[in-house]
Amino acid sequence: MAVRILTVEDDERIRTAVSLALEEEGWEVEETANGEDALVAFAQNPSDVVLIDIMLPGIDGFEVCRRIRRLGDVPIVMVTARSDSHDVVAGLEAGADDYLRKPFDPKELSARVRALLRRSRPSGSPAKMVVDQLEVIPDAGVVRLAGDEVHLTRTEFRLLVELASSPGKVMSREDLLERVWARDYFDDERLVDVHVRRLRTKIEPDPANPRYVVTVRGMGYKLQP
Amino acid sequence: MATEPPEVGQAQPTRLGLRTRISLSFAVGGLMVTAALAGATLVLTRQQLIDSREQAAAAFAVTNATRLSNQLTFESTVEDLAPIVDSMTKIEGSQRLIRVRNDWLPSPELDREDLPQVLLDRVAGGKAGQLRSEVAGQTRLVVGIPLQSFDAAYFAVVGLADLDDALTDLRIILMGAGAGATLLAAFLGWWVSQRTLLPLRRVRGAAEAIAGGRLDTRLEAQSDPDLDRLAESFNEMAMALEERIRRDARFASEVSHELRSPLTTIMTTVGVLEARREELSPRSLTALDLLSRDLERFNRLVAELLEISGYDAGAASLDLTEVQVAQFLGASARTAGPVPMHLPNYAEGLVIRIDKRRLARAMANLLDNAHRYGGGPTAIILERDSGCLRIAVEDEGPGIPEAERTAIFDRFSRGAAGGQRGDDGGTGLGLSLVQEDIRLHGGRVWVESRPDGHAGARFVLELPLRGFEPE
Repeated sequence: MAVRILTVEDDERIRTAVSLALEEEGWEVEETANGEDALVAFAQNPSDVVLIDIMLPGIDGFEVCRRIRRLGDVPIVMVTARSDSHDVVAGLEAGADDYLRKPFDPKELSARVRALLRRSRPSGSPAKMVVDQLEVIPDAGVVRLAGDEVHLTRTEFRLLVELASSPGKVMSREDLLERVWARDYFDDERLVDVHVRRLRTKIEPDPANPRYVVTVRGMGYKLQP
Repeated sequence: MATEPPEVGQAQPTRLGLRTRISLSFAVGGLMVTAALAGATLVLTRQQLIDSREQAAAAFAVTNATRLSNQLTFESTVEDLAPIVDSMTKIEGSQRLIRVRNDWLPSPELDREDLPQVLLDRVAGGKAGQLRSEVAGQTRLVVGIPLQSFDAAYFAVVGLADLDDALTDLRIILMGAGAGATLLAAFLGWWVSQRTLLPLRRVRGAAEAIAGGRLDTRLEAQSDPDLDRLAESFNEMAMALEERIRRDARFASEVSHELRSPLTTIMTTVGVLEARREELSPRSLTALDLLSRDLERFNRLVAELLEISGYDAGAASLDLTEVQVAQFLGASARTAGPVPMHLPNYAEGLVIRIDKRRLARAMANLLDNAHRYGGGPTAIILERDSGCLRIAVEDEGPGIPEAERTAIFDRFSRGAAGGQRGDDGGTGLGLSLVQEDIRLHGGRVWVESRPDGHAGARFVLELPLRGFEPE
């Protein structure tokens, strides 16, 4: 079945152009012009990826993102027209998996979507990883903490798998940007930081005092064996 | 014609500060008041002392003259006077001369020539008299009393030198007090000016805070009506400034959105056309390539203009993250096609806190610049000096003539390659944006000749390490 993408963009010309570009990749696009329509469309027929413009009439992109996130772990890309990192951080806090700045190259757009749809585990990693009470089974997409299954979004899961595939090894934010998001060195590292924070609230017994995903000052993160 | 605008309120280099001037005024005022008071005190005291001495001398002279007249007889001669004179009252420093008919009984130090003629005449005329006169080189008080019944006269001479001594002491005391009062007045002036200038110092502090970017700085209401007006005007000015800067920033942000939206549509549709190149005729392809190339340049120009307007509106701020220097430079070098790097050993572990996006853009601009005008970057060099880090990008182009090394950082400046600049794809804003980005970090950027003597330019970014070390 073809990948379905839901877009929320109030500018009709951008909306049409984005649909054209995404359809070039062979994906199916459902266009909506505001947050309310998008929520209805998603509730009726959940898509595989959601692309949300932040500046929307009515409820804003952050709110749309939060509500869709409550409905499921679908990958969400926020689109911002600002060059500073304010919208990026706010979007990630609202539950987005990735962001895109206007104006973007359609190749960049496709790359983002493709990265979010990836499911394969890093080559050479074992089929099952166990650290203390944490258990990760990449192929099944399952994480268990003390035997109970933990629900992670796809991006959180990939981040955990990257860290878990070499426990004890420090991974720089840039490495993680590249491996999890297919981003390059100069992209916003807060993508990593916000996701690590969210991952901790789900798998750490005490998120303020992490047992598993540990920050290494000036270097990055590692999974404490 | 450019004329130098007159500078408002420029201080003369030799002019004293307000506080010094107020202190000096207070000191001069204090000195004048104490000098006047001291002068008056001296004059009055002197008069008082002389008056009382005159009274004492007159009383003493009258007493002695009376005693003399009681003991004189018509036959008495000067020689008979000795026992009478011995029994007379004496006061400190006084002397007496006595005339009996034409004979004088001199005192040990004085004789009749020392007495003023005016007094001699007066006494000879049968009247008592008293006057102050220079007698034997000293100011003395001379009292003359005629004893007419016996054709005799009694003169008392009283010295005033001890009064002068007393007055000299008083003068010293008054001068000391005057000096003390002057110092006290100067101190008072300093203290008063300190208190008076305190609100001005607050104004200065607030102005500096605003200049430093804390636009919401305001002055507290003052209890003094004049100062309160100043505070009010200052606050109104600050508010107007803040409002204007916010409006500019808002405008820049709206312009940004308005420009980015159509650009998004254009870039996306051009991307779709690019993906379908094989369906286009050769003429359409040529048109598409033109469109793509200028779209890229236009996109960059808009992005850089928006950044610059952000700086102009004062809306630019640092977004610091920890960055490993070696990794950062490596990534920069890779995006510019491999550029050899010369990193010292310590670079591997060196972590600094910078605005990664801005510094990455600065590096990209320098490397891009080297590609466009310098035949490509030949080296990225890292150096560390006391308190700062230098990143140099060298190329092997013609270099930048000395005269253009400052102007090259101006917006839309046309350098030596200016002739063909229209075709090179540059926006003319890259280097000025580099300068803004580095300045925001508190550093500086310049261009120089390559130190190894080869032709080519060397652009240097200097970042202060202070404040950018990892937490």
